[in-house]
Amino acid sequence: MNLKSLLFLVFLLSGSTLAMAQRSIIKGKITSGENREVLTGATVLVNGTSSSTATDLNGEYQFYVNSGNLKITVRYLGYKDTVVNVSVNANELKVVNIVMQSRQSVLQNVIITGYTQGQAKALNQQKNADNIKNIIAADQIGKFPDPNAAEALQRVPGVNIERDQGEGRYVSLRGLAPQFTNTSVNGEQIPSPEADVRFVALDAIPSDQLASIEVSKALTPDMDGDAIGGSINLITRSAQSKKAVIQGFLGGGYNELMNRGNVQGQLQYGQRFGKNEKLGVLLNSSYYQNNLGSDGVERTINDNELELRDYELTRTRLGLSSSLDYHFNNHHEVYFNTIYSRFTDREWRRRYVFVPEDEEIEKLTKDRFESQSVLSLNAGAKHIFKNFLLDYEAQYSYAEQKTPYDNEAGFVAGIPSTLSYADTKFPTIDTDQDYTSNSQYEFDELGMGSSLAKDRNITAKINIGVPYKINGSEGLLKFGAKVRSKNKSYAITQNTYENLGGVPNLDQFAGKPVKKEFFFNRYQMGNPLDVSNLIGYFNANPGQFELQIADKASDEALESYTASEDVVAAYVMGRQQIKKLMVLGGVRYERTKVSYNSKDVIFAANGDLEAIRPVNGSSTYDFVLPQVHLKYDLGNLTNLRAAVTYSYARPNFSEIIPSQEINREDRVATIGNAALKPVSALNYDLMAEHYFGSVGIVSAGVFYKQLDNFIYRRVIFNSPYPLTGTPIIPQIDVTQSQNGNDASVLGAEFAFQRRLSFIPFLKDFSLYLNYTYTHSNAKLQSREATEGNASITEEIRLPGQASQVGNGSLAYEGRKFSARVSLNFNGSYLSEIGGTKAEDIFIKNRMQVDATAGYAINSQFRLFVEALNLTNQPLQAYQGNSNQYIQREFYSYWMRFGLKFNL
Amino acid sequence: MKKLRYSVLSLLILALMACDKENDNVIKPLTGDNFPQILNLADEGDGEIEDEDKFSFKITLADRVDPDGESLEGRIVPLKKTVRVNFEVTDFEGFNNLNEYIEDAAAFYEIDDCTTSEDEGIDLHLTFDRTTGKGSVDFPAGVEEIEVEFETNPDLFDDKVLNADDRKIEIQLTAVQAGEEKVVVNTANKFEYLVLDDESIYGSYELDIEDAAQFQKFITLFGLINEDVKGLKADDVEEIEIEFQYGEFKAVIVLKETEQVDECGDIETVNKEIEIEGGIEELDEKTLAGAVEFADDIEQEDGSEQEFKYSGKFKIVGKNLELTLQGEYNDDETDKITLVLKK
Repeated sequence: MNLKSLLFLVFLLSGSTLAMAQRSIIKGKITSGENREVLTGATVLVNGTSSSTATDLNGEYQFYVNSGNLKITVRYLGYKDTVVNVSVNANELKVVNIVMQSRQSVLQNVIITGYTQGQAKALNQQKNADNIKNIIAADQIGKFPDPNAAEALQRVPGVNIERDQGEGRYVSLRGLAPQFTNTSVNGEQIPSPEADVRFVALDAIPSDQLASIEVSKALTPDMDGDAIGGSINLITRSAQSKKAVIQGFLGGGYNELMNRGNVQGQLQYGQRFGKNEKLGVLLNSSYYQNNLGSDGVERTINDNELELRDYELTRTRLGLSSSLDYHFNNHHEVYFNTIYSRFTDREWRRRYVFVPEDEEIEKLTKDRFESQSVLSLNAGAKHIFKNFLLDYEAQYSYAEQKTPYDNEAGFVAGIPSTLSYADTKFPTIDTDQDYTSNSQYEFDELGMGSSLAKDRNITAKINIGVPYKINGSEGLLKFGAKVRSKNKSYAITQNTYENLGGVPNLDQFAGKPVKKEFFFNRYQMGNPLDVSNLIGYFNANPGQFELQIADKASDEALESYTASEDVVAAYVMGRQQIKKLMVLGGVRYERTKVSYNSKDVIFAANGDLEAIRPVNGSSTYDFVLPQVHLKYDLGNLTNLRAAVTYSYARPNFSEIIPSQEINREDRVATIGNAALKPVSALNYDLMAEHYFGSVGIVSAGVFYKQLDNFIYRRVIFNSPYPLTGTPIIPQIDVTQSQNGNDASVLGAEFAFQRRLSFIPFLKDFSLYLNYTYTHSNAKLQSREATEGNASITEEIRLPGQASQVGNGSLAYEGRKFSARVSLNFNGSYLSEIGGTKAEDIFIKNRMQVDATAGYAINSQFRLFVEALNLTNQPLQAYQGNSNQYIQREFYSYWMRFGLKFNL
Repeated sequence: MKKLRYSVLSLLILALMACDKENDNVIKPLTGDNFPQILNLADEGDGEIEDEDKFSFKITLADRVDPDGESLEGRIVPLKKTVRVNFEVTDFEGFNNLNEYIEDAAAFYEIDDCTTSEDEGIDLHLTFDRTTGKGSVDFPAGVEEIEVEFETNPDLFDDKVLNADDRKIEIQLTAVQAGEEKVVVNTANKFEYLVLDDESIYGSYELDIEDAAQFQKFITLFGLINEDVKGLKADDVEEIEIEFQYGEFKAVIVLKETEQVDECGDIETVNKEIEIEGGIEELDEKTLAGAVEFADDIEQEDGSEQEFKYSGKFKIVGKNLELTLQGEYNDDETDKITLVLKK
């Protein structure tokens, strides 16, 4: 099916939506009889009709019906089907709250600790969703030892995560790199704190701030269209009942590598007030501090250099969120949701760099503090009118990455060394002198920088839904619009000083080792440089330091920029239930206008800084995004789904800002491309899913994505510069991100999860499995291309695409005691495209083993212990062949334990 | 509401626990405008042959970020107020008392290429004690660099023997009375003045341009790096002189062709000259025979730079210097060529 055919089908569907609206409305809340918790994702249907809906996160449902005596059936995995008789008059809004009984209610006095409750929420939502999506509920997240949103997402089929210091950070969906996925909070995109990208580092978001995470793998027209891999929606918590709920945990932990402890806690309060529980208030806070580190060895093959890297970090994660909602009556409500997260890293990086070619060894220490903050404020309202539904929302969101100091100092010793890679995992270093002797290291340079990256979104949107009926079949016509204004900027200050004369050798500034041993005691790190000691000396003796003024000018100009981006969007869609078939189709239009200001930095042929010139660029692009979803009900518990959707992904800011580095000495130039088009994709999805009444799922699906305008870095040999207009440089090799090549991703997903109650001796065990296979193919300019044959191409895997990704988890959930062992597997993937095929860098496959255990003291208090990375899985990168390691980084295991409470 | 109060309080406590170590063991560096001006010795050293009657050192301000943003490489931003700089002779070798060698001192700065502060009667209030070697001088507002010049005894070292020991003076800046100015001095760097032995390779030598073979050897040797030299004929040349100076090799080809130059208002007719210079990378001193190597960069048409290098050996016999060199430049190299020059 091509794009035109898809558009035609969509308009056909939309055109069929003219019909009379119904007059009566039934709405209400579905709760559990066991613990009064709301049941999210429950199916609510009117018997004998096609009227059907599902409860939202608050357990609430609503739909338009014909007046009369009706039978309403409610289904929820893990609960008995409930049928209620309802009499509704014409034009009446009838509130029907239903309490359901668990299938397990026969087990009296069982403390509901886990499996069914969390899984049921997620799976019920997933089952009733119009599109293909995976949902993880808060209590399901809580069963895994995943402190941040990225790590929680790694348990979802088709998700691969990139880690930083062993903790998950970026999320890749379905074999596509993080820039192909958008991230929202409460349905609205949040900006990225980082300067050069759009995607959000999800380790900044504490998982215990969330009510659930939705991963939409096929977009509907009422969703932002800039996601090819998928769309992640982080949903914060809201108050559910008039009984005050105070819950949280307090814990500590231990990091084996650093031999240091950590601290964490969470506290949440939620309550509804008033006679009719009109006002809901929820406050949630969490704090996490971890002292972690890593031992690493890195190799630069082309330069024959080897690095020993000793990291020490203090990482904190603070989350604050609130939810305020007021229900004026059954027709009208307003809400105001906020979330603030602050992620910080104080990092010390201590290094040796062995440079045999120069007969030198460098010894460096970096001391950096970085904070990433994200604030999102969402205010909106929902209205139910006689003939239509209306909701609207305004959002202000702001993200920043602030680095108040980033100090790194280096000393150099003239010590020859010989490197051997006979043992590929543990290279040997031979020196005829003690390379840890600090007195041999002379001062080289001290760099002190600071930076601030800011990204702000202001968004407004409106949605209108009109229910209708055609030939007895229920349907909903929905349309809406949205505007978003984004301002993004990056400012950097960098001061690098060299020796003007008199700076002592390193032994004057040495600190103490932070670990007993490094890298299995294979290498010695000696006493490291203490940068603060050196800065103290710098302040006392500034006359011995010389500022590198040209470096300062070029460093600050090259990276700084300001950008603005305005997006206007509108959509129309129809959702039609035709007996067992649900058809959802529509089209979304998005216009994006972007403009950028940055600077060109030109280096003269002798290497001197020649000029810094302001430069700007702008572009406007439009997308019409038709989308069709089919869901066929093969039974109460079985769905067959198909979707054809069209979506796109905007380029990273680092690729489009027109910042340019022109190095005439080396005859190379790297220039931004403000005219770079987004990558577009036609996505095909097919999925079959069967849900187990006892709570569980088995699903299998395939997907295929055809990407156009795939972005790759192209080298234009001997090009005039600038590329257009009057050249000021006749011939230079220009590297620039460009469009033009096609790519495709083909994949298959399988998931299974259920309690093993059908096996008598394993009735308290449950199994969680998923596996995703992907294959990708992208064409780009051959790395062997030269001036004479610049048009030849080659095929590669898409960067970030792991062929195999999977999870396995076996859990025991008894009356009071529970335990879980979890495996997460990432296959190898291409990380960086090199100058030649032999220079491509891959991340090696990795399987992490985590374990958790808990003991319920009573219904309010529960002890827990969690341990991560039990098998000390490293991050390993290789170049050329899988035994040629260029990076190996170990973290050992870390754990936490504490007390959870729900008062 | 009691529960609410407790909860809010607890939230605040949790927020306060955010001990992220941002300020642990952090020292704020003196950067930007807080980084002071630096007064430093302009050069690490200098040297002249034995009968020279003066030497000087310069005190200069370090470059700063150009406040006007015009010079990307930075520039000297002069002080707004005069400061006083102390200096000291911290070491000397080859003689017993400083006042045996240093006879007087003066300080000045250049106003333009033809005028100094002395010409304008500006006094930098230099003090110098010939016994202790301690001195001080004004570094005036609005000035980029000052020079302190010592008058020396030209006969003290002017002998006729090859010296085996060093004759030198070391000078360091020791302090600054900055007043309200935010300025410091680099007290670690040294200016080293070396008395060069003219019985060793140091000094000037002349090539006999009447010797066609020697002339052609010179042209072959240095025509490698200089197109003007490559095309020269003996009839074009008045004289050729090479000189081994402190840290530098210099060859000067004086042409018969003349030109008029403006020397501070006086128009003079002088011979045109071609100069070839290279920094000395290796040189055996205190000997009559040894190794020599000098090199430098030459700017290309496209603005890039390429290095040339000459290496070889020398031998001094009486007043003659036998210099054997091989040149390398741009993947080309000469044969080993021996020049015979006269002092």
